Amino acid sequence: MTTIPDELKETVSTTTLDDAIDFFSRYLLDPIANAARSNSVWPLTFGTSCCAIEMMHVGMSKFDISRFGSEVFRATPRQADLIITAGTITRKMAPALITLYEQLPEPKYVIAMGACTITGGMFNDSYSVVQGVDRIIPVDIYLPGCPPRPDGILDALLKLQQKIRTESYKERRAKAYKQSPVLYVDYDTGRPIDDLVDEAKTDTALMLAGAKATTDKP
Amino acid sequence: MSDEENKPPVNNSENPPAEKPAEKPAEAPAPKPAAAAAAKPPEPAAPPPEAGIYGNFLKGKGIDSTPLPLSVGTETMELKPSDLRTAIKLLRESPEAKLDFLVAVSGVDSADTFDSVYHLWSYTKKDELVVKVRIPKSSVAADKLPEVPSISPEWPAADWHERETYDLVGIRYLGHRYLRRILNPWDWEGHPLRRDYKQPVDALNDKNPDSMR
Repeated sequence: MTTIPDELKETVSTTTLDDAIDFFSRYLLDPIANAARSNSVWPLTFGTSCCAIEMMHVGMSKFDISRFGSEVFRATPRQADLIITAGTITRKMAPALITLYEQLPEPKYVIAMGACTITGGMFNDSYSVVQGVDRIIPVDIYLPGCPPRPDGILDALLKLQQKIRTESYKERRAKAYKQSPVLYVDYDTGRPIDDLVDEAKTDTALMLAGAKATTDKP
Repeated sequence: MSDEENKPPVNNSENPPAEKPAEKPAEAPAPKPAAAAAAKPPEPAAPPPEAGIYGNFLKGKGIDSTPLPLSVGTETMELKPSDLRTAIKLLRESPEAKLDFLVAVSGVDSADTFDSVYHLWSYTKKDELVVKVRIPKSSVAADKLPEVPSISPEWPAADWHERETYDLVGIRYLGHRYLRRILNPWDWEGHPLRRDYKQPVDALNDKNPDSMR
């Protein structure tokens, strides 16, 4: 800490470099970045049940989600910012949804759409349904309804935009989702995909050589 | 008119309750056994289900089947597991039966049997047949699944139906070439539509711990 001469103490204010960067970011960069981000929230094409019909509806010309900057539904999570979990999430779908969420680039947002994804809805206490999608991924906006009307989705999007505009980059960074390495397994057998690929290659080589392929017994 | 129609039923309905409490204590001990005895004979007297056209058809081919009561007006029969594959093949390909459409393969966890149920339909004759294969629970070891021969090698439509029945009811189809779970994930424990199934309590569902699990 540098000492300040007594005669200047009343005219000088001290600050650290971190505080300066924080100030710069909070009042200059964040508003610009947030304004850009909040007006270009691109959702992922992800629908598992009837809520997806309303989600398709909101993309069509009558409601037209493009007016609010959610220009297109992207077919890959790597180009999307938002998952609208439109529909029931079963226990079998849960690993796939987590994988999709992990592939979204930060900052990423989730709208839990419909009663099933908020609490399990009419599949309350069911053996096969995840009782609320917030048990497996973090949720930003809850949108109740069974299913919600397209107007409701637009309202949820506007609420999300409001949330994005008021957040700071530093806080967002601190809350970032911790990625973990994933082992991709076959949903039928639970065997690692790499093993299956190796087996398929071996089988192909054997078949090309004229021999009978090794059979896959349960 | 409406008043006249309404009144008599009101009187009728009011009278019997008034009479019954008075008569019952006196009559109850003696006539009840008599009434029960009189009521019982009609039940055994109900004719046992007779073999329908498909039952007789299979009998002509040398396959025994046990006729069961009609299921919603459709002929129903029980087959022995060892006869299932030949019988299904005959019913499908003979010109007399021509049951050429497999509607569904389903499983039932009955009180004392595991049933594998086959619904067959004929496009040409517009006729229907229900075939059941019943495995008594007493013949299944505690850690084993009931075993029924698979019809999927001859009838590929049964492939996924049998996988679903295996997944949910836990009937092992012998000879199925890919008998794995189809609806539930591969690491699922138990068969959810069994009577004794206890659903998991974990992070994905820890609600209502007092519910019927």
